[in-house]
Formats: sequence, structure tokens, C-alpha cells
Amino acid sequence: MKTGQKIKRRDFIRIVALPGAALFIVGYLDIKNKAPQIVNLSASAPGARINAYVFIDSSAGITIYNHRPEMGQGTFESIPMIIAEELEVDIAKVNIMASPADRKLYGDQMVVGSSSISGNFELMRRIGAAAKETLITAASNRWHVLQGDCYANDATVIHRSTGKKLTYIELAEDASRLSPPQNPKLKDPKDFTIIGTSPPRKDIPSKTNGEAVFGLDCSVKGMLYASVERSPVFLGRLVSYDDSKAKAVKGVKYVLKTQRNVWGHRREGVAVLADTYWAAAQGRKALEVKWDNGDLESWSTKKIKEDYKKASAQDGVIFEEKGNFSKVYDSAPVKIEVSYETPYQAHVPMEPMNAIVYAKKDSCEYWGSTQNPNGFRSQLARQCGIAEDNVTIHYTYMGGAFGRRSLTDVAEEAADLSMKTGMPVQVVWTREDDLTQGPFRACSLNVCKGALDSEGNPIGLEHKVICQDIRNQTGDDDRATDGIAGGINTDYLIPNMVIKGVLRKLYIPISYWRSVYHSTNCFAHESFIDELAVAAKKDPLDFRLSLLKNHERYTALLKAIAEKTGWYRPPQKDTGKGVAIVERSETFVAAVAEIAAKDGNVSVMKITVAIDCGIVVNPDIIKFQTEGCVVMGLTAAYKSGLTIEKGRVVEQNFNNYAMMRINECPEIEVIVMKNSYDPSGGGEPGLPPVAPALTNAIFNLTGKRIRELPFNLDMV
Amino acid sequence: MASISLTVNKKKYQIDADPEMPLLWAIRDLIGLKGTKFGCGMAQCGACTVHLDGEAVRSCVTLLGRADGQEIVTIEGISDNTSHPLQKAWIELQVPQCGYCQSGQIMSAAVLLRENPHPTDQDIDEAMMGNLCRCGTYTRIRKAIHRAAEIMNG
Ligand code: FES
Ligand code: FES
Repeated sequence: MKTGQKIKRRDFIRIVALPGAALFIVGYLDIKNKAPQIVNLSASAPGARINAYVFIDSSAGITIYNHRPEMGQGTFESIPMIIAEELEVDIAKVNIMASPADRKLYGDQMVVGSSSISGNFELMRRIGAAAKETLITAASNRWHVLQGDCYANDATVIHRSTGKKLTYIELAEDASRLSPPQNPKLKDPKDFTIIGTSPPRKDIPSKTNGEAVFGLDCSVKGMLYASVERSPVFLGRLVSYDDSKAKAVKGVKYVLKTQRNVWGHRREGVAVLADTYWAAAQGRKALEVKWDNGDLESWSTKKIKEDYKKASAQDGVIFEEKGNFSKVYDSAPVKIEVSYETPYQAHVPMEPMNAIVYAKKDSCEYWGSTQNPNGFRSQLARQCGIAEDNVTIHYTYMGGAFGRRSLTDVAEEAADLSMKTGMPVQVVWTREDDLTQGPFRACSLNVCKGALDSEGNPIGLEHKVICQDIRNQTGDDDRATDGIAGGINTDYLIPNMVIKGVLRKLYIPISYWRSVYHSTNCFAHESFIDELAVAAKKDPLDFRLSLLKNHERYTALLKAIAEKTGWYRPPQKDTGKGVAIVERSETFVAAVAEIAAKDGNVSVMKITVAIDCGIVVNPDIIKFQTEGCVVMGLTAAYKSGLTIEKGRVVEQNFNNYAMMRINECPEIEVIVMKNSYDPSGGGEPGLPPVAPALTNAIFNLTGKRIRELPFNLDMV
Repeated sequence: MASISLTVNKKKYQIDADPEMPLLWAIRDLIGLKGTKFGCGMAQCGACTVHLDGEAVRSCVTLLGRADGQEIVTIEGISDNTSHPLQKAWIELQVPQCGYCQSGQIMSAAVLLRENPHPTDQDIDEAMMGNLCRCGTYTRIRKAIHRAAEIMNG
């Protein structure tokens, strides 16, 4: 469309809605010649408020609305690929845009737990197929022929016997008046031409030239920037503050009390609002704030460890049990009992937390990066006391999230300040805020007991997890939920097994962090399996294979990774290797770490990961997600870890909360298994086995068993 | 307050602002170019990397006063139509995940390639150490810099 040329509303047709709802909405979209953008942030731009997946328009062509926010996990490409497959359109020629946040139309749009593909594969296929069938019906009506005599290919309906053709664009208006079929016929997977390929992702160019819009990049006319001072001891109560110096900073407009909720705990702050971010930050530095931190200042990492150790004597809750562990343990010829510890970790997405909220009398708008657009919508509706329909969520690309952006807390601060000032407000967190306020990945103590018979066969295993529980952070209930047992592999053929949990409740806020409890428990569990293999004098990979001999998928994975890494080749001097496995989000993963001793130090040479996530929509996405999991897994193993002193976090920024850098990054190879199981998760499963594969390799090389993360690679 | 003149991506700007304000916030909030990112504010992550008179600097710790009268290039000004060899290589090898760190990565890599058209892995590691990527795109960044060198050297 040329600029200035008016688009007639009738030119745009929107097809397809949720199966079962059978609704058609006529849409309007003006995006031709624009780089694909994940969200149309301009309020006046046409199409910003339509709800749908598939749009057809005579000037812009075919547009697919994507209802899954993009944080780097690749669903911006993979979800439309599934629709395009069944719709019979070339993914390269399709525009992709973000759908609005609307639970009624799109269901839950929250991107967590590596669930976008597994939870939407079937549905997106039906959406695409229903659109295609509707277009075929429109063509057959025009031609007065049977639908069955027509087929679709490359955005065109073709009449089989005569070869007559009509394009989707020519059919769109007719199709918009038809009801879509409720049970469209899906393609035979062997005919897939898009699913299983890795087309260039459409968001990539904008991420190399500065065009991609992240939450922090949004601005709204008249907006104030806010920087908030909060108690470093999380639950500290605000006693008083002196804002005279802050108010003297040029550009500062208001100093206001604010608060947010984190898992039921109210957390207070003092916000400085100014017309530039810089002025707000300067004003905040000039604040003098008194906090009452009570006796929380007595907490430290040391005290937490002692508390956990003491708590480990408790029986705890039993999550899973087979056979009778204590009976075999008592009389076993070989027994092992060891403990593993992991620290708190921060998410530290590269884009610091931020949110813009403009709360007006009867409506509210949000601009920013979120994993949870519907949750934000509900929260803002509640907070502003308005109906959800009057809340608009403009969600952008996320500059990383890893679980942190599923929480609404930052938007709560922005909404509170917008309501108090009547202005749109952007709350910007500093990196220091991010690291010191949390919520964090929980720290944990894992106590493992194992028993072998006289032939070295494992006959009993007990794994007890002592930690905080994301789902039970407040109130009096002192039982852990089974969420904290994630990542403990009960598929191993060990006849007597028991998995237990002991809940600790602390004032330190915790939350979901890439792969959640799998990231801590798998380290303990897969280290312990290695210790059992050593005690049984068996090769650790063979030991696992023998304990999983009935498990087809693990067996295939272990064999594939053994072959790829030359596991059975005689080891070279001064090298070591370790293996670990996990199931996460119904995906099975094996990792092998190869390390070498160099000048008295250990260096990580290569990490190989084999991943089985069933039918793969886009193999390159699985690959890069797994590469990312390796880097994050290694970082958590030997670079980063949070410590608590005087009730607060010690690490403040990347200078002492260290991230892996390019010079430390080993070679990474990812093997994506091919099979026809249902699709399962891709974003997290690669992470949990990385740390234990590495520490198992270190044992293999040095004989030193690492049972506490993070460790110092230079000191091994 | 002071009046500061900057050339950003060949355009001249006259800015009235606190000379102590970091260049990052002037570029983002006063000039309105949002491709340069805030990641740490203390020269630890490289997300804010721009070219100041041809050198890669961390704009979060470069005071506006220091940039007075100088030439700045940001990610938006590195090429027309996303045509820089690094941008081409980044697209070809599908480097970005979330993408947030990538402006800074490309700005650092651009200076490396200008100074050293045939970098080794070690040269790359040394030049790119200051740029964090929490998504873990390092192995692809390495490959893409080699690929860009190839494109550049024809
Ligand atoms: S924001 Fe400047 S180096 Fe991190
Ligand atoms: S791509 Fe996300 S931080 Fe680098």
C-alpha cells in the first residue's frame, strides 16, 4: 500500500478463531513493506486491536497472528510455522505479528515451562487447517464444484480436473462469510514441508539493526520515569524518608511511597519520578530512607545452610515411593550417604525489569515485556478496579526472561505510581535492583542415600530435597508440594526408592527460573547416580543404560551420545568425561562434558547434548535453545551464585555476579533426535544435566567429587 | 546544564543537558535512538556499546560532556538497509535469541574487524569478552564474526 492511500475495510478479511467458538471477525491491517514487528505499539495503527490468527488482505498479503510472547525462545517463528503448514502457505511470504493479549480468544498466553509447542501443536494445526478448508469452500462455491475436487497449494485453491485457480486473496472476502469447520482434516505428517525445517527467523533482522522494540524502549507521551528505592532486606518496613535533596534534582517531579506484591509478601519502596530516567536515578541516590528490617538482618548464607542441615533430620513429605527403602538400606552391604548444595541464582535477563502503565479513570494500558500477558491484564484490572476488557496489554519482545517476567510485580509498581500521579509511568529497575530484590531460583540441600547389593547392583535410593517451595511461600501450611521434587529420575530400575521433601519457609523471595527445581535436583541426583556407578565399579554411561534398559527413549539418547562423543574410545591423557540425563517438560536429554587438564587447571573443552523432544517443529530453534541452556547451566555451575549477608544479597552487578563470557565458552554440539512422539518442550530441558555432566567429568579426570555449586573451576 | 553538540549517525544534535549524564541516556531518551541498550550501567556487559570517534566505548559510563563535539555511531547508523557484513552474517547464522545484547555485540565486532580483518578465535575472544549474552549465543557469534570477515574480504 502506498502511503496516504486509504484501505477499504472490506479488503481485509480475518479468518479463523478458536475451534469450538466458530467466530469470524473482519480485520484490518496495514503492514505491507514493514519489517515484521512483534507488536504494533502505535495506538492509532490499524489492526492493533484485532483478535485472530490468520488475516488475508489484498495489499499486505497473509498475516499470521502469534499469541505467544517472544523472549528468545523462538516461538515467534515456530507457532506460525505450524499454522502455515496446514494453511498451505509459504512461511517465507507470510507476515507475522503479535496477537493482542486476550484470554477469551487465545486461551492462556503465558510462556513458561517450555510449553508453547507441546500445548499448541494440535490447536495451531487445526487453526491452519480450518482456514484452508474455509478458503476451499469459498472456491468450490464460486465454481459450483465439489469441495473434494479442489485442493490448496501455495496460497491458492486449485480445481483438480480443470486446473482453475483462485488465490487466497481473491477468496478471502467470500471465506470471511463462511463458518469454519469444527473438525478440519489434518495433514499426514509425512507430507509436512514446513514443520521439521529451519527457515530464517523473521525477528532476526530487526535484532541486528536496533529496530526490535523491547519493553525498555517504549515510551508514551507525557511519561514519567521512576526509579524505586527498596529495602535490601526484602521485607523491611519503611519507617521514614527525607526527600528534600531528591526533590532538588532538576527534572524530579514526585517522590512517592509505593509497593508491590511478591508471592503474597508486600514489599515497600520509595519512588522518585522525573522527566528523564537519569534525573529519576539521581534523585533516588539523593534520598535518605530508614528501614525497619527487624531481626531479618541476622540471616546469612551460613545461617541458611545450618538451618537446612538441621531440617534435613526431619522425615518430610513423601512424594513418591516404591518398595521399602529403609529396610534394604539397613541391611545393605554397601551404603552411601552424601549431600549436595546449590545456591540462590538470579535470572538476570539482559534487559533489566521495567514496565509502563497508564491508568486512567476507566481504562488502563501497559507497555512492556512480559511472559504472562493475561496475568498482567487481570492484575491491572484488579488493581485499577476496572473490567479486564478495559485493560490493553502491549507486549513487546523480551530481552530475556528465564521465568522472571511471569511475575506482575514491576507492573504493580508502575500502576500504583500511575494511579497516584495520573500520568503514564515507566518503572525502570537497575541491574542492582534485579540482583538484590529477586525473586530468585531457590537454594537447596539434597541428601541422597543409596544401597548396593554384593554384586554392585543398586537396590535402594532415597533422595530428600530440603528447600523453599515456590508454591508455598506464605501462610502456616508447612508441607512441601511435589513441585520441589522435579528433576529426580524415578525411571531408573532401582527396586526400592523414595523421594522426599522438607519445606523451608524464608523471607527471601523465590520464583521460577529456567527449568526450576530440575536445575538443582538433577545436579544432585545425577551426581549421586555417578557415585553409585563408581561404587559399583561400572562405567557411568553403561550403568545408566542398564538401569534404563526398558526405557526406549533414554536408551536411544544414551547410545546416540555415546557414539557422537566416542565415549568408549580409550581416554586421552589428561582428559575426562562425564554424562548426565534428565527428563524435563516431557523431553529427554543426555549431556556429555569433555574436559582437559591444562597447566594445572581444568578447562571445559566441549559439551555435547542429545535432546529428544518428539516431533520437532524447527530443529534450529531446539539447537540454539539448547546451546543457551549449556551456557546458562555452566554459568550456574561454576560462575554465578548469590550469597546472603546481614539479611541481604551481597552480589550487586555483573562485576561480582559473574556470567560466562565468550572466552570461556566451550564448543557446543547439539544432537536433535528424530522420532514421531508428540512434541514436547525445548527451552529448558537442556539445562539441568549440564552441571552434573561437568562435575562427573571432573571426578573422572581428578577423582575429586564436587558436591556444592558454584565451584571454582580454577581451584579444582 | 550545558549545551552539548554531538554528531550521531551523521546527524548533528544540540542538546541541553547535565554533562554528567551518561551518553547512553542521552542517545536513548533525549535523541530517541533506542537500539543502544542498558544492561548494567557499570561497563560490565557491553549492551550499550557505541562508536565514539571510531572507538568502541561503553556509553553507560561515558559522560555526555566527554562526547561533546565528537562523532558517534550507534547500531542504527552502522549501515543502510542492514547491509553491514556483520549484520548479514548474523542473519545467515541466525545468531540472536532474545536479541537484547546484539546491538552491543555487533558494535564491538565492527571495531574488531576494522582493525583486524582476519581475526582468530583468540582475537575474537579478546575483543568480545566485554559483551555478555545471557541467552548464550557465543558459539554463533564466533562463527558469525569469521563469516563476516569472509564476506568483507570478498
Ligand atoms: S550497560 Fe554499559 S556496559 Fe552494561
Ligand atoms: S541474545 Fe539474549 S542476551 Fe544475547
